[in-house]
Amino acid sequence: MKQREISRRSVLQGSLMAAALAGTASYFGPWTENRVWGQGAKPIKLGLTCDASGQYGNSGQDDLRGIQMAIDEANAKGGVLGRKITWITADTETTPATGSRIAERFITREDCTILIGAVHSGVANAITQVAAKNGVIYLNTNSSAPSEAGENCSRIKFVWDGNGTNFSKASVRNAVSSIGKNWMLLTNDYVWGHTTSAATKTQVEASDGKIIDNLLVPQNTRDFTAYLLKIQQAKPDVVATAIGGDDIKALREQVTQLKLDGKPSWINNQQDWPDVWGAPNSLFGVFGTTWYHKLALPGVADFVKKWQAANKEGPIPVPGNVSYNGYMATRELLRAIERAGSTNNVKIIKELENLKVSATDRMQHFDAYMDPVTHQMQQTIYLARRNAKPSDSTDLYEIISWTEPKAVADTDAAAKCKLVPYEQIPTVDS
Amino acid sequence: MLDLLPHILNGLTLGLLFALIALGFMLIVGLMEQINLAHGSLFALGAYFAMQLMGPRPPLPQDIASAWLALPLGWRYAAALIIAPMAAGAIGIAIEFCMRRTYGKDPLYGLLLTFGAAMVIEETIRLIWGTRDYVLQVPQAINGGVLFGDLIWSTYRFYAAGISAVIIGLVWLLIEKTPFGAIVKAGAHDSEIVRALGINLTRLRLLVFVFGTMLAAIAGIIVAPIWGIRPHMGVDAVIPAFLVIVLGGVGSFWGAVVAGLLVGLAVGLSGAYASEWSLLSMYVLLVAVVTFRARGLWGKKSVLEA
Amino acid sequence: MIATYQSDSARLITPTMMWLFLALATVPLWIARIGLYPYLGIEILIWSIYALAFNLVLGTAGLPSFGHGAYFGIGAYAFGLCQFNVVANLWVCLAAAFVIAGLAGALVALFISHRRGIYYAFMTIAFGQIFWTVAIKSHKVTGGEDGLLKIARLPADLGFASIDLAGNVSFYYFVLLVFGVAVIAMWRLVHSPYGRVIAAIKQSETRAAHLGYNVWLYKASIFTLSAAISGFAGGLFAMAQLAAFPDVMSLHQSGYVVMMTLVGGGLVSFWGPVVGVFLFLTARDVIGALTNAWMLYFGLLFMAVVLFRPEGVAGAVAAAWQNRSLYSMRRQGGSALRLLFGGGRWR
Repeated sequence: MKQREISRRSVLQGSLMAAALAGTASYFGPWTENRVWGQGAKPIKLGLTCDASGQYGNSGQDDLRGIQMAIDEANAKGGVLGRKITWITADTETTPATGSRIAERFITREDCTILIGAVHSGVANAITQVAAKNGVIYLNTNSSAPSEAGENCSRIKFVWDGNGTNFSKASVRNAVSSIGKNWMLLTNDYVWGHTTSAATKTQVEASDGKIIDNLLVPQNTRDFTAYLLKIQQAKPDVVATAIGGDDIKALREQVTQLKLDGKPSWINNQQDWPDVWGAPNSLFGVFGTTWYHKLALPGVADFVKKWQAANKEGPIPVPGNVSYNGYMATRELLRAIERAGSTNNVKIIKELENLKVSATDRMQHFDAYMDPVTHQMQQTIYLARRNAKPSDSTDLYEIISWTEPKAVADTDAAAKCKLVPYEQIPTVDS
Repeated sequence: MLDLLPHILNGLTLGLLFALIALGFMLIVGLMEQINLAHGSLFALGAYFAMQLMGPRPPLPQDIASAWLALPLGWRYAAALIIAPMAAGAIGIAIEFCMRRTYGKDPLYGLLLTFGAAMVIEETIRLIWGTRDYVLQVPQAINGGVLFGDLIWSTYRFYAAGISAVIIGLVWLLIEKTPFGAIVKAGAHDSEIVRALGINLTRLRLLVFVFGTMLAAIAGIIVAPIWGIRPHMGVDAVIPAFLVIVLGGVGSFWGAVVAGLLVGLAVGLSGAYASEWSLLSMYVLLVAVVTFRARGLWGKKSVLEA
Repeated sequence: MIATYQSDSARLITPTMMWLFLALATVPLWIARIGLYPYLGIEILIWSIYALAFNLVLGTAGLPSFGHGAYFGIGAYAFGLCQFNVVANLWVCLAAAFVIAGLAGALVALFISHRRGIYYAFMTIAFGQIFWTVAIKSHKVTGGEDGLLKIARLPADLGFASIDLAGNVSFYYFVLLVFGVAVIAMWRLVHSPYGRVIAAIKQSETRAAHLGYNVWLYKASIFTLSAAISGFAGGLFAMAQLAAFPDVMSLHQSGYVVMMTLVGGGLVSFWGPVVGVFLFLTARDVIGALTNAWMLYFGLLFMAVVLFRPEGVAGAVAAAWQNRSLYSMRRQGGSALRLLFGGGRWR
């Protein structure tokens, strides 16, 4: 008798589960219905592929803040082409496989017609692939591997950050002559690290310098003791790092702790603001960036105020280069749609390929333009070092130089980048 | 050869840390014949609790918190080294209560249960503290660099290695040289005798498990300034801990300590010659040893190998 | 639908299979209506093949393998590398995925098949980690952590016709067909004389050895076969993702397949792994869209299953279906678990 009872209960449980499944189905049902718009124009839906965890979790979320700000500004002005902009985001986990899966879902399930957001070049690559298959435009906001605008370029992808070659060109020649010829490279073991260190090597050798060793650092390394021992043993003049995200934060902490930050000299190819802000006391060496919130240029202070108003409770008090790139990319995309007068993908691509933005509009020192051959934004490159006389707690950089886009352009990229003809991209319209 | 010395020294300090990480895991395996895959998560919890206690916003009432924060860093660090493992021990109690259903059954039950617990704890950490990295502050006295053989070393590394050696020694004394240790060891091998002696076996198991948990948490606090604090640190710890136990052999205290040192040396030396492959060295070491020695270095017969 | 009957073990295709295949064939017709999408169906079918292959080792042979993701991943890389360097032919490259992963499995089997229990388990983990690290580090071959990209969904060349699989729906049907073949093959394998020896080894290695069976050879061969089929599924996965990534080879993801198999009920039911994969991947997609903490809930579910329902979902449903008492079912699940580690000689 007792056994029968138990078994009846399990039947009940089974039917409960079936009911629960049916419930999910009906929950998701109306969602599909929503896609049919009774009145008013259908919104334009963007998929924001931003890391929320992993090596670039912090940067990804800062990217997102910039992107959202540009979207909110456009919606406040009545949207684009009279249509509202809506968006959806999911954590790409700083993992290429996850990026691929989320891009697939955003495009095929959520009907996103444009994807925005990247910090990790491997993730960006994986997303590009899925986007290209579907003809969906993808904005690589912050991943700065030279290969993004070289061998991994794509007709549907636009790259908005300065890349490893740009930064190396701005920093290396001067450093070889003023500091010394013996260089050592510390390279994060993935595509951005490899291509950036390769760019540094080219510049060092072109300036008669020598690379005495290149140490590969696995992603998510936290204990740099073995590397620091080897550096001390090899005694280079300069250590050039291509290490990103939480890894560079850990490295900086350990170098500062051991007081190795003075000699050898350090050149950190690019420092992202979220990583700097996460460990402000261990900033050393010379590093590159595309923007700083205390640039003495018109519009900067206003932008900072607006950003702060939108992100009051955020973990970072002021916008940095990552948020700036996210904002600029999204703003220019939405303007391009307006100019194209259409959401047709090829029309938008053509608008973006001819993009020119004045220095004032960019809040940088020089005019910027989109290279139609490599799809990379050509912009002012800044070099900075730690600010000895900060005006407030966020004033961490002393900007030591700014170089115009032409002087640091990656002249080899065009030969490596092959864009497919417009006719070969699947048509996308929303 | 002289160039190699720093890397050997680095490997040995690392080895002591590995041995420390494996210590709590080893006790639970050796004395209870249970594999606690939540070991790494408890290791992580120890570090997170200590960080929270020492950080700018301790989980205390306002006035107590400000008095607490006024204390010198060294005092707070010492207090955190005691309080945080106790808090992690409380979580250990909860896990042990769940595990009771699995005693006397296949040890795989315990392994899978603690695997689930590890996942749950890691996700809870993500919910509470987010996915970002944290830094555990350490007192000035053990921070900074020290010149040693014309190379600058991290002072903290030597401190961490030293304290690991001390803790390992103390645990050995406790198990081998005290009546408590004798009872625990007896309980592991013959529960009948322990019962006959009028000792509550349930409570004994709880005690051993919580002790193992607290050792995991202490290891977490010691290692955190080197590895950083992040949700994934639990997985980063439990794999080497498991490996050290299998390499040393189940049920062998010194086997595990020697295995820890060997793993440290392997990682340190491969770091010198082929830094990109140093991740691999510990697994190659394990395969090499277990291929020829069925029970690792000095393993004893155990239900865990059937 | 999930219930299996004794007489089925002799059949080539059981009624359960027929109903399942028919139901799955209708999926693309309605999946979008419930807010899901065909790509999810593709992933579920591929992971099902992988989990069924994994369960040959875990459930059928009772061998605790915790690094199985390696073979799934190796298959994916093999498929991609074959396509780029050998010949861009679907059949050749899927065969390559099967063979290369099988060779890797055979190599590992050489080292581990005379080990038991915890030592067996950790050797599989160690080899899994070795393959994973090699995949990450061999940048020139595998693309390292960035993955091997630009893998194409090759057309199915049938000699007289060539079917394009680039679209998600056509690829879904292709994977369904393959799934059907794989299910039938594994069903027959489990119920063959060979499968019965494997089951006997799970009951007691010693007894099987006394009966004159070469236990080592059986253990090594089932592991190799399982690795090969996992690699075959990996080849399909590379096509689905248009890339091969090292992530599936990590210990974490190897743990996922163990969880899927156990939650579904792989220890007592042939169909358990499929149920588990369906639950896991659907939950990841549906709950994962609402909260990042979905793994927390899945972890709790997993703990509950281990504590209260070791026979898993399929076991519980099968018990209800056949109107058998859960009590005896649980006992069966319990004994299956007990036998799991080392040939049933636990205590």
